[in-house]
Amino acid sequence: MERIGEVIESSTTSFTAGAYELLAAPPFGALVRAQSRTPGLAIYGLIYEIRTGSKEPGGRAVVRGRTYTGRNLYDAEIYHEHPDLAEVLQTEFSAITVGYVDNERIYQYLPPQPPPVHYSVYECLPNEVLRFSERCEFFRTLLFASHIPSDELLAAAIRNAAHARANEQAYLIHAGRQMASLLKDDYDRLAALLRRIRP
Amino acid sequence: MSLDLTALSKQVRQMSNSLVTDVRGTAERTSEARARYLSEAGKEQRWTQAVDLSRETAAWLLARPVEPLDTARDLPPAPSSYALVATDGSQIELDRHGIVDCYLINVGRVFLRYGSQPAARLTSSPALCYRDEDLFLSDGARRIAIEGNYLSARRDVEEGVELANLAEEFLTDDTPSIAMQDGTLIRWALANAERFVQEHFLQRYLGALDRLRERGIPLISYISRPRSPEVVGVVRLMHCPDVNLEVGKGAKCNECSDQRAGREPSCGVCQGLTDADLLAEHLSEGQRGPLFASMSRINVESYGQHLIHFFYLRIGRELARIEVPRWVAQDSAQVDLAHALAYDQCMRGQGYPVALARAHEQAIVRGPDRKAFTRMLEESLIGAELPSRTSRKRESKEFRRL
Repeated sequence: MERIGEVIESSTTSFTAGAYELLAAPPFGALVRAQSRTPGLAIYGLIYEIRTGSKEPGGRAVVRGRTYTGRNLYDAEIYHEHPDLAEVLQTEFSAITVGYVDNERIYQYLPPQPPPVHYSVYECLPNEVLRFSERCEFFRTLLFASHIPSDELLAAAIRNAAHARANEQAYLIHAGRQMASLLKDDYDRLAALLRRIRP
Repeated sequence: MSLDLTALSKQVRQMSNSLVTDVRGTAERTSEARARYLSEAGKEQRWTQAVDLSRETAAWLLARPVEPLDTARDLPPAPSSYALVATDGSQIELDRHGIVDCYLINVGRVFLRYGSQPAARLTSSPALCYRDEDLFLSDGARRIAIEGNYLSARRDVEEGVELANLAEEFLTDDTPSIAMQDGTLIRWALANAERFVQEHFLQRYLGALDRLRERGIPLISYISRPRSPEVVGVVRLMHCPDVNLEVGKGAKCNECSDQRAGREPSCGVCQGLTDADLLAEHLSEGQRGPLFASMSRINVESYGQHLIHFFYLRIGRELARIEVPRWVAQDSAQVDLAHALAYDQCMRGQGYPVALARAHEQAIVRGPDRKAFTRMLEESLIGAELPSRTSRKRESKEFRRL
């Protein structure tokens, strides 16, 4: 499996990675795995933010779609005409830590150490998403996380996990029940969440 | 408060007023000088001769015309694919009050390729200079500290050497390519230096130019808003009453006949004008003016086969000065390539060559990096159990005693 980026900022509850290819971050809600210093131990995160901007602090992009000679450039053409952009811009994505794997066993609580800065980050393939989402303790982690779009993220993660399975419907119903028990005193929030995962 | 703004504002007003009157005077003199310059088109041979006769004795800079004075060459089409390398440097000067004697040169390195396979590589390479031979130049008897102008000269040399390295690393196929530097190719900082100092720096610099020439990569440098008055020097000759080619007499400023007769020198009309003022109206967008060879002493005496030539290029509201060595100037295909690519780079960079802007970004050492560098120095000296020392003056600046 090819690594897609490396950790550039790290703390106990979340980590941020820089993507090796500009504009090529995994989608919102995707499960990623960051390598740790301990062999056999890797940390799982769910992507809650993707951003692209200047590598240098304070740098800002300028509009480039209309050249001085009056030629119009659209979208990817701009990157083609300015190959230096790929060197001065960087795409980053942040993930909330939802668990870790240690010697093949998956735990859905915080790992002993955050992933080290500059260590590799991989996007998990469907079979790994399936294995990770067999249990639902991470629902709670997401629902109670602050400063992130937690309901949107949980819904996206559930849709993803359902997608990785042959029987999507069964997983959605299972996940819906789990959410209902977590949000038994907040009907409105539960209803909004259920609408987001409805097939 | 350490800057008295009230006192300053009055002076700023006075300055603006005097600038307004200056501008009016300059515009009149510029059009007079320009009319004279263009009227001499077709007599280039005469003025080349006058330049050669006056080179040693004129008090001003001169340029020898290589093409008709009224040349205005249209922008040649740029190749659909091309590659270029560029460098720019910055330095952290030797701090006499600092903890250890050393300086840092950081060279920003850029490779860009456009067209069917676009690519970019932006890097920088720092060099810490602390050895005796980095800090001093010696010819056995004298020891000259490398600081100020000489440090700039050293940096220029490093930029040139890195440029040749980059060209050898990246410009290896037959895609049309150029190497680009910021600022002048003429090492003015060395103009008044002692012979052995000049040789020390120029030998390595010109060696880098040799390497580019061998690879057939045209070298160009780009000067934004140039202030040089070398072509204006030729217009001064046109006004000079002492120039008499029939008897082989050029301008001799310390024997100026106008001054002897108690008059203002006739060339006074050119006072304060720049080449860009002179040529501005003659060139429309994308056009370049005639090629000239710079007649500055260091160029003529030391550059040999690399004798620096230049032309002016209209880019938006600016005239840029493009300098090239003689081997580029003599090859019209390479001059066209230099012309087209300098312009294309400016178009991509919104008025200034992208490659140079990127090289500058790579080279610049910003405040936090500078601090980190100082801290790294201190920590490593402490680690090596060497005494780190700052001067009393530095201490007094850092701690204000109340």
